[in-house]
Amino acid sequence: MSASSIGATDQLATPPIGPKPLVAEVGGGRLGDIWRAISRNRKAVAGLLLLLVFVVVSIFPGQIAPDDPTAQTYPPALGPSWHHLLGTTSLRQDIFSQLIFGTRLSLVIALAVGAIATVLAVLIGVSAAYLGGIADGILSLVTDVILVLPIFPLIIVITAYRKNSGLFMLIIVLGVLGWSYGARQLRSQALSLRTREFLESARVRGERRLYVILFEILPTMTSLIVATFLGSALYAVLAAAGLQFIGLGDPNSQSWGTMLYWAQSNEALFAGMPWWALAPGICLALLGAAFALLNYAFDEISSPALRVRKLERSRIPGRLPSPADTTPAVAPDRSVLKVEGLSVAYATDAGPVVAVDNVDLDVGRGEFLAIVGESGCGKSTLLYAIARLLGAPLPGEIIGGRVLFQGQDLVLLEERELRRVRWRDLSVVMQSAMNALNPVLTVAEQMRDACRAHSKMSKAEIEERSREVLRLVSIDPVHLHSYPHQLSGGMRQRAMIAMALLFTPDLVIMDEPTSALDVVAQRSLMVQIKELQERLGFAVIFVTHDMSLVSHFSDRLLVMYAGQVAELSSTRELFDRPRHPYSQGLLEAFPSIRGPKVRLLGIPGSPPDLAHPPAGCRFAPRCAHVQPRCTEGEVPLSTVNGSVVRCVLAEEGH
Amino acid sequence: MRFVLRRLGFFLVTLWAAITANFVIPRLMPGNPALAMMSRYRGHINPQALHALEIAFGVKTHQSLLSAYFTYLGNVFRGHLGISLTFFPDPVLHDVLQALPWTLALIGSTTILAFVLGTLIGLVGAWRRGGILDSVLPPIFVITSAFPYFWLAMLSIWLFSLKLGWLPQSGGYDIIDTPAWSWHFIHDAVVHSILPALTILVTSIGGWILTMRNNAISVLTEDYVRMARAKGLSPWRVMWTYAGRNAILPNLTGFAMSLGFVVSGAILVEFVFNYPGVGWMFLQSVENQDYALMQGLFLIIVLAVLTAILAADAATALLDPRTRDVR
Repeated sequence: MSASSIGATDQLATPPIGPKPLVAEVGGGRLGDIWRAISRNRKAVAGLLLLLVFVVVSIFPGQIAPDDPTAQTYPPALGPSWHHLLGTTSLRQDIFSQLIFGTRLSLVIALAVGAIATVLAVLIGVSAAYLGGIADGILSLVTDVILVLPIFPLIIVITAYRKNSGLFMLIIVLGVLGWSYGARQLRSQALSLRTREFLESARVRGERRLYVILFEILPTMTSLIVATFLGSALYAVLAAAGLQFIGLGDPNSQSWGTMLYWAQSNEALFAGMPWWALAPGICLALLGAAFALLNYAFDEISSPALRVRKLERSRIPGRLPSPADTTPAVAPDRSVLKVEGLSVAYATDAGPVVAVDNVDLDVGRGEFLAIVGESGCGKSTLLYAIARLLGAPLPGEIIGGRVLFQGQDLVLLEERELRRVRWRDLSVVMQSAMNALNPVLTVAEQMRDACRAHSKMSKAEIEERSREVLRLVSIDPVHLHSYPHQLSGGMRQRAMIAMALLFTPDLVIMDEPTSALDVVAQRSLMVQIKELQERLGFAVIFVTHDMSLVSHFSDRLLVMYAGQVAELSSTRELFDRPRHPYSQGLLEAFPSIRGPKVRLLGIPGSPPDLAHPPAGCRFAPRCAHVQPRCTEGEVPLSTVNGSVVRCVLAEEGH
Repeated sequence: MRFVLRRLGFFLVTLWAAITANFVIPRLMPGNPALAMMSRYRGHINPQALHALEIAFGVKTHQSLLSAYFTYLGNVFRGHLGISLTFFPDPVLHDVLQALPWTLALIGSTTILAFVLGTLIGLVGAWRRGGILDSVLPPIFVITSAFPYFWLAMLSIWLFSLKLGWLPQSGGYDIIDTPAWSWHFIHDAVVHSILPALTILVTSIGGWILTMRNNAISVLTEDYVRMARAKGLSPWRVMWTYAGRNAILPNLTGFAMSLGFVVSGAILVEFVFNYPGVGWMFLQSVENQDYALMQGLFLIIVLAVLTAILAADAATALLDPRTRDVR
C-alpha cells in the first residue's frame, strides 16, 4: 500500500541496535512463514474468508441462485419477498439471482487482471533493478509515466473507440495499464536485495542470471508480489465496475457493474427498487474490501513495525511483583547515577524476552564508564532504559529496578517531569549522527530547539552558545547553518556531541558514537571526548563493542553478556586480570600493539537466544572452563578485590 | 534546483506520452471508428477545420504518418483541438475551458482537503499508537477505500436528497439560475457541491490516512525522533517538526502517484451527480462518439493531474533540503 513500507522493512531487517531475537522473527518472505503470519492476522483471515465465499458463489451460481438471471418473467419492480429475496427489476428479473450470477465476472476480471499486472510488474520491476544502467533508466521512466497518467480516463478513451469489445479486451487493457505501481515497488525492493550478501555469493559462484532471479531474488520478494497482486485485483474490480457502470462493458453480460448500469438507467433508487442498486454495490464493496483487507494485512506482515505487541508481564518467568522499595531514592554524593536491579523486557510474537536482567551500576562524578559486549547483549537497551528512551525501534519496557539520578528515580517520573532533566542534566549521543540528526532542519535549528525547550535564552544568546559548542568540538561555526547532509560523517558526529554539551550536563550517555567513523577519525574523536570530559567535568557512560577503543579512556569497564553484568571493574584491573572467562575471551580477540606476538583467539559459538536463556551461567555453553555446577543454578555476582564478577571460579582467584 | 528541473522534464515527457497516445489510439483501432464521426462534420465546418480533424484521427490523409504527427503536435500546442459535435459548433477548447473551473473547484479543493485531513489524522493515529483513533479508523478506512466512488454517489443521493431531502440531487446549480458572480449563485453552487464533495472526501481520505500512518510509524522508529525526545522537546514539537515533517515527504510522493486514481473516481462522481465539470462532459462525449471533445478533455485531465504532481514536487523541494542541493 505504501511505497515507504519497503524502506521500513529493510531497516527493520538489519537494525543497528537491539536484541537478536527480535531480528530473527521478522517475516522473512518464504511461503511457510507468510502462511503462519496470515493465520495469526485477524484482518487477513477476514479478507480470506470473504474471498472464499465469493469464490464458492462464483463456481456454483446455478446451485445457489433460485432463478435464471436472464429470465424476464416476473412482475416488475417487486419489493423484497420470500420468492424474490431482493425483489425484482423493472425489467422483470430476479435481483438476487442476478447478483449471484454476477459474482463470477467480477471475480474473473479481478483475478485475471491481477495475474497479468503482477507478471508484468515482476518482469519489468525486477529486470529494471537487475539490469541497471540505461535499461533501468528507460524502464523506470516508462513505469513512472504510466503510473502518473490517469489510467481510467485512458481506458475510457480506448474502450470508447471499441464499444462492446468484450471481456477479453477489457482484461487485457486493465492488465496492461495496471502494473506500474507494483513494478515501482518491486524494483526498489529488488535494488535493495541486489547488494545483499547471499546474492553476491551467488554471483561469485557464477550462477546464471536467470537462476539467480528465479530462485534467489523472487522467493524473498513473495510478500511484495502478493501485495502487488492484491492491489491490482482491487483496482481491477473498481475499474471494471466503473466501465460497466457507464455503459462501456457488454450491457448483456452478468456482472455487478452491469446491474448498476441498468439500475442507474432505470432510476432504480427513485422508482422504489433500492436493492437493485444497493446490492451490487455492497457486493463490489465487499469484494474490494476482501482484497483491501488482505493487502493491508500483508503490509503489516511484511513490515512488523506496523503491528503493536503487548508485553505480557505474567509470562516473564521467575519474576514476582517486586516488593515496595524502602531505601530512600537518593544516590550517594560521590555518584551521579545509580542503577539498581534494572530489568527490561521486549514483547515478541513468541512472548516476552528479558533483554536486560537485573543490572546494577553506578557512575561517579566526572567518571568515564565503558560498557562493552557483543552486539545483542543488551547494552544499548540498558543505555536507553537508563535514559528512559525505550520505545520504537527498541520497544522494551522497564519491568523492574530503579535509576537514581539527581535524587530522583527516573523510572517513576512522568514524561513531563523527565523533560526537565533531559539535555540540561542528562544528554545522549547516538551511534550514527546521519540518522540522529533531523535531515530537514539545520544544525542551528536543532540546537535552537534544545535551547528553547530548557531556557529563556534570546535568539542571539542561542546563536552565540551554538557557535561556542561547535568551537569546543573544533568545527568552524560557519557550518552552524548547514543541513546534516551537507556535513561530513566526522563533522556530523562532532556536531551531535556539541549539541549534547549545550547545557554542560552532569552525565552524557554515548551509544557507540564512533563506530560509523574510520579508525583515525575514531581515535581523534575519542581523544577529544576525553579532553572535553576532563575540562568540563561531566560523567560519561560509553557503550561500545570495541574494547580496545576505550582501553585508554575509561575509568571503569562493565562487561555485559546476555543481558547480565558479567564483570565490572576498573579498566586497568580488567585488562591486567580479567576474571570472567568472557572478559578473557574479549581481550584475546584483539591484538596488543606493544605486547608479545600471540595467536588471536575469538570466542567460539554465539550469544544465547534471550527468549530461552540457558539455565545457570549464560556463558557456560561457550566457556572453556565450564564445570557441572555452572549449569546447576543462577550464578550470583561476587566481589573480588573490588571487582564484581559473575563466575563460580572468580572467588578461587582464577 | 536540479530536482525541480528533473521533475519538470518528467512533466513534459508524460504530457508528450499522453498527446502521442491520443494520436496513436484512433489509428490502432480496426476500421477507424472516427470515420463515422467525420461524416457528421462534412459540410458543416470549414475545410481547414475538417483537415485538422482528419489529421487528428488519421482519416484519409495524404500526409505521411510522421508529418501528420508533427502537424497534430503543432495543432495541440496552439490549442486547436477541433470542433465539438456535442456542442456544435463550439471549438473543443472553449467547452473544455468552460467545464474546467467546476472540476477544479470541486475535485481540486476536495482532494486537497482530503489529503490534508488524511495526513493529519494519519500522523496523530501513528503518534498515539494503539489509541482509539489508531485502532478504529484504519480498518474502517481500509473498507471505505474499497467502495466504488459512483456507488457511494448513488447511495448519498438516495439518502440525503431522496429520503431526507437535505440537499439537491444533481447538477452544479439550480437550472433556473444563470452562472454569475453573485452571492446567490455562489451559495447555490456550494449547496450543489456538498454531496459530490463528501462522496469524494469519504472514499479518498482513507488512502491518505493509511499511507501517512504507515510512514509516520516507520519515521517514529528513526533515531532523530528518539534524539528529539532525549532533548526534552515538547511532544507537540517532536510530533510535527521531527516526525511529521519527515513522514509527509513520502506521502507527497504517494499523493502524486494516487492522484490519477482519485481523479478517475471523481469523473464517475460527476457523472452520477450530473455535475457540469470535465468528468461529466468527458462521459457525454464518449456517449455521443464526439471523439474530438473526448480527446481534448482527456488532455486537460492529464494536464491537471500533472500540474498537481508538479505542485507536490515543489512542496517536497520546499520541505526537504536534500532535494534542493545539487548532487
